[in-house]
Amino acid sequence: MDCFTDIADQFWAQTRNGLTLGSIYAMIALGYTMVYGVLQLINFAHSEVFMVSTFATLYSLRNWYGVEQMPEGFGIVVLMIGAIIPAMLASGLTALAVERFAYRPLRRRGAPRLSFLISAIGASLFIQYLFVLMDGSHYLGPIPLPGIAGPNPQTVPSIIERSQVFSIFGTSFSNKHLIVIIAAGVMLFILDRFVNQTKLGRGIRAVAQDAEAASIMGVNIDRVVVVTFLVGGLMAGAAGFFYSAILPGAPAFWFVGFLPGIKAFTAAVLGGIGNIRGAMLGGLLLGLVEAYSVPCFGSQWTNVTAFVVLVLVLLFRPTGILGEAT
Amino acid sequence: MSDQPPVNKKQEPEETDAQREGAREGRTIAQRREQMRKSRSAAMGGARRAVASTLAPVTRWWGPFRQKIDENSKWSLPLIGFVAVAIAALLPFLGEFIELPDWLARATSGSALSRVALFTLFALGLNVVVGFAGLLDLGYVAFWAIGAYTAGILSGAQTATRCDQLGLGNCPDAEWNMFMWLIIPAAIVTATIAGLILGSPTLRLRGDYLAIVTLGAGEIVRIVANNLDSITGGPRGIRNIPHPAITIGDFNLEWGTLLDTKYYWLMLFFVVLWIIAIRMLDHSRIGRAWVAIREDEVAAAAMGVSIVRMKLAAFVIGACTAGVGGVIYAQQVNFINPPTFSIIQSILILTMVVVGGMGSIGGSILGAAIVVLLPEVFKEFEDYRFFFFGAALVVVMIFRPQGVLPSKRRKAELLGAAHDEGLYDAQHGGE
Repeated sequence: MDCFTDIADQFWAQTRNGLTLGSIYAMIALGYTMVYGVLQLINFAHSEVFMVSTFATLYSLRNWYGVEQMPEGFGIVVLMIGAIIPAMLASGLTALAVERFAYRPLRRRGAPRLSFLISAIGASLFIQYLFVLMDGSHYLGPIPLPGIAGPNPQTVPSIIERSQVFSIFGTSFSNKHLIVIIAAGVMLFILDRFVNQTKLGRGIRAVAQDAEAASIMGVNIDRVVVVTFLVGGLMAGAAGFFYSAILPGAPAFWFVGFLPGIKAFTAAVLGGIGNIRGAMLGGLLLGLVEAYSVPCFGSQWTNVTAFVVLVLVLLFRPTGILGEAT
Repeated sequence: MSDQPPVNKKQEPEETDAQREGAREGRTIAQRREQMRKSRSAAMGGARRAVASTLAPVTRWWGPFRQKIDENSKWSLPLIGFVAVAIAALLPFLGEFIELPDWLARATSGSALSRVALFTLFALGLNVVVGFAGLLDLGYVAFWAIGAYTAGILSGAQTATRCDQLGLGNCPDAEWNMFMWLIIPAAIVTATIAGLILGSPTLRLRGDYLAIVTLGAGEIVRIVANNLDSITGGPRGIRNIPHPAITIGDFNLEWGTLLDTKYYWLMLFFVVLWIIAIRMLDHSRIGRAWVAIREDEVAAAAMGVSIVRMKLAAFVIGACTAGVGGVIYAQQVNFINPPTFSIIQSILILTMVVVGGMGSIGGSILGAAIVVLLPEVFKEFEDYRFFFFGAALVVVMIFRPQGVLPSKRRKAELLGAAHDEGLYDAQHGGE
């Protein structure tokens, strides 16, 4: 019963934390769920797509903009846009590369599902250790690898100063939380409109329903797959930017994608994999569940909570809350 | 009349146009699908032929040889096995007979070989899960950890370490609270229980969900080991786990520190034991049930194969193997802590199974040897190891999905290339 009074005490603070983290999960989960919808496979390398964006954020902030001090006023907005674009592009391109080299050759020959998964694990390892090797002292054949990453975590400069915007019942909502929640909300809304109202979005939905029928009706499947990976990558890139540059504490690190990746997958399953709105809902729910578990079990058990949620969802409702339909 | 030929010529395209029109109307979507499938399988065949032709010299030599073995399997297999084991057991002495180049000396050192043997054991176990039963287990390291921690706790090393850390004074030395050969069955029991706990709910899931759940489970075991200080020693781990020893009367055989070559022979013993057991399993009723499940779950269930039980059997056998390996590992290294059992180990073992050839015992051995010895041989490229493994996994999946030494059964299945739609997909879909 202690647990419940603790939750009640920290309810608003944990709700705030949960929503913030949940928005990040939701954005990453979209990549999983869209690729699953179109190809019926778990894009195991998606956590690396996310990871790449933390390095892109670090690189652009440090080397292009030379962020030492936090800019004031309007400068923050410019800086944020200037840093989020390279992050999104880096992730988007990584996602495209994964699709091109790890999935398309297998798709061409109709390989069994296990092959896709193993190939994705391979791509994931490849990208992770590519960044481990990029410490400036390693070579890929004759080509020296740039020294932008390396085996150790690197702190990403925080671009905005934390300040309280408003408070509910004694819990302060800072500008950082609000930026993440609002920006994520806007991007998810745009994505939702894109999938539901544009021609390309209709193609994506058609391929998700029945790829062969869609191709007979004139949908270019390869194009749809590329767009799906690209959109998923862009969203993961934005998530990586928020995760590393806005929220405190997350470094640029070759292994940084693992936990958010697996949790985002949990979120996608929770909401119903293949279902875009489900992924958003699942992300927020998982963030909240994790946050509420902190007062109960302590923060060292949050990861276990997420995995237990995953197992329970898969056992009792494998199609997720909103079902698997797109 | 002289105009007729041109008329005919004109008619011809008209006819074909009409035919096309008719075809466009008459061919149903289902027929077109069939055609798409055919063209796709033709493309697949082309790629396979290309691979087959590059490997032709090998198959030309291997084929008749293999056939000979198969024809006289009653005496040839035990003989080949015996010779292979003898050669393997003598490998550490290779350097004493002939001058070895540096890299080969590194690869045949006792420590490198015992790592190969240890990972061969793990690969054999995971091969039962992934190769035989077709279940993708990405949390295999969990059972290795469970075996190792069982050894750490039951041998009394954990209490000693903890007593030491708390500074209670008068701490007992870690010694065999239980005889080594009792710890191995104990680890089998704990690993079996863990396998049942993890497997019985999750094996009902379809393949890719299972992969993620096992991945999560592997992490849970590591986090639990990290967080439960009082039982597992937490992040500081367990120190001074005693080395194994056999004492019968005057006969005393003791294993020394990490680099002792005797560990290699100990592990080799278990590897041989496991190979015999797994071969027997594969050729038993259970092995045939696994093949049936892999090929067509629905048909297997219809024929009376208990899907979940058979999957669970494979999962638990894999878990036991890792448990045994974990005990020997803990006794050899004599120190364990949670970071040892990170996700990368599961993936390494999976790499061995996949690169070697899923479902093939020889493939598991070869895969373990490749993955463990390559960084040993190319010492200067050790940093690049995982980088190249990642690339290798993708390349193997694209060009040789059956692995380097494929099993005959598995190869036949891959050529059939059925989409593995599970029975439980259908069930859950209907809910």
